[in-house]
Amino acid sequence: MPRWGMVIDLDKCVGCQACSIACKEENNVPHGSPSEQKRKREIYWHRVISASEGEYPTSKDTLIPMPCMHCADAPCITVCPAKATYHRPDGIVVQDFRRCIGCRYCIVACPYGVRNFNFNDQVKQEYHRPETAPNRQTMGMWPFPQRTRGVVEKCIFCFHRIDQALREGKVVGKDVVPACVEECPTKARVFGDLDDPESEISHLLATRSSFRLREEFSTKPSVYYLHG
Amino acid sequence: MDLTFAPIEGKSRGFRRLMVVLGVLVAVMFASFMVMYLLGQQVWGTSNAIPWGQLITLDFFFVGVSAGAIVVSALCYVLRREEYKPIGRMAVLMGFLLFAGAMVTVLVDLGRIEKFWRVFAWGFMNNPTSMFAFNSIWYTGYLLLMAVYLWLAIENKTKWAMIIGTIDVLWALAVHSFTGAIVGLIGTREILSSPIKPFEFITAAVTSGTSLLIIAVYLTFKYTKRPLDNKIIISLGKILSYVIIILLVMIFFDKLTHIYFPAREGVLFLFTGPYWWLFWIFQIGMGIVFPLAVLFNPKTNKSVKWVLAACASVVIGVFGERAAIVIPGAAQVQQLYPGEIQGQWGMAGAFPITIWETLLTIGTLAFVALLFVLGLKYLEILPKGTEPKGEAVKHG
Repeated sequence: MPRWGMVIDLDKCVGCQACSIACKEENNVPHGSPSEQKRKREIYWHRVISASEGEYPTSKDTLIPMPCMHCADAPCITVCPAKATYHRPDGIVVQDFRRCIGCRYCIVACPYGVRNFNFNDQVKQEYHRPETAPNRQTMGMWPFPQRTRGVVEKCIFCFHRIDQALREGKVVGKDVVPACVEECPTKARVFGDLDDPESEISHLLATRSSFRLREEFSTKPSVYYLHG
Repeated sequence: MDLTFAPIEGKSRGFRRLMVVLGVLVAVMFASFMVMYLLGQQVWGTSNAIPWGQLITLDFFFVGVSAGAIVVSALCYVLRREEYKPIGRMAVLMGFLLFAGAMVTVLVDLGRIEKFWRVFAWGFMNNPTSMFAFNSIWYTGYLLLMAVYLWLAIENKTKWAMIIGTIDVLWALAVHSFTGAIVGLIGTREILSSPIKPFEFITAAVTSGTSLLIIAVYLTFKYTKRPLDNKIIISLGKILSYVIIILLVMIFFDKLTHIYFPAREGVLFLFTGPYWWLFWIFQIGMGIVFPLAVLFNPKTNKSVKWVLAACASVVIGVFGERAAIVIPGAAQVQQLYPGEIQGQWGMAGAFPITIWETLLTIGTLAFVALLFVLGLKYLEILPKGTEPKGEAVKHG
């Protein structure tokens, strides 16, 4: 059984947010209104944060793309009272909307702030696609055609793409990758099997210096960063 | 002490007015809940930065005062202190109803209220490692125990009341400790995370529970024209002062632990951030300093009015203390990477007070008060007084 992970090269990331947009399109994550953004209610399955150190002219800014870290020891799974969030055998932390009771305990417990609560029904605007999915003929059943109000959402490493690829005998990491990896214009992201020594991701981790966010919490994230 | 208990008459104009006011507020509670249910929690002040708001604050507060009331009831039914017999049944009733209120608040706070039963599907559809799910056993058992305890107290089965009361007091301590653990075990949030949090919770529970009971006892006995020995109020005030000292020691060492080591951003955010007033004015000023000043001053600690003022201060202060955990605890920006996080992701969460959430909070308080008044009317809770017919209760 593979153990899916992602490597993000901070040296290559230009902060264009193509990954965030690709994620929104792929998973029909709604674009929030300005007031929702201001109130921190817009739903982001993926975001890019910027951290600054030092004073001008010697300051250093680092852009950090942040999907869900898919931790091997995930606090969100520990605290979820309804088994709504759990590990798949391949290590992906998924969120089952039908099980979620909307208590938001996982949002409080997540060390990375990557979980979002769905505060309202999706507004029917131009971008709204209530039923359509990205080409079901090729991508298979799309798991998130509509929003569910009152539940928590998060990045799922586009597992629908992975499952479809495996059914079709394609190579995950080469032929098929999550939407954010596919759309990255600078090829800053690599997706693959962390347990496969021949995979590109394993090669990168073996040859480059890497780190994971907030390692002091021992959550063992599956998302690695290469130093910029 | 031979005491005969009886329901209140409940036929006076004041009683009817009170019922109308509480009834209207309960209707407002249902209306504000329906608004939230139809429009979503966008009508509340919560956000992804501060996912818990007024309802969870009220839930923690209710669980606390319930546990405190049950602990005080032990003076009568477990320790068999005769002087507290007139207020024993009332303490148990308050413990029961306040906890029922806590369950209502946590229920209406859920995003998908219709799925609440999953938390009680023990080991099958719930996750026992979650403190929410783990507490479902404690909460269910606590409600059942309190119902039995109340029945035994009303039926005057003192021997069984002592046995069940003892179990219930221990259960109450566990319930509130594990409620503290809901936030205390969250290692990623500096303000919340603390091994001492369960004990701090239970101590704050005893202070607020005792205070609310003193206020309720005074008002109920006064407005139903029942004789009340002021010594009960003064002696409970004395107990309260000692528990507040214990609470102060716990808060001091909790904050000292968090500020001593260089990783002190969390406690500094609590002390000096946008919600400093919740900690300094409510938790410390109203919950600790003012009541201690009153209860240790020989000029004021024997005055019923001053003790009542101290109790009111503690109740408001502990409510503020719950808010000082729930709101700044989540509002602090998590240190995801060395340096300062720029833009909206680096801004602390804001929690606006919104109309529907506030009405729901006030309505839930009124709902518990309404059940309490109905309990006084239909159950033998209060000792027989001198109330004339048609003049019984004027205000709760």
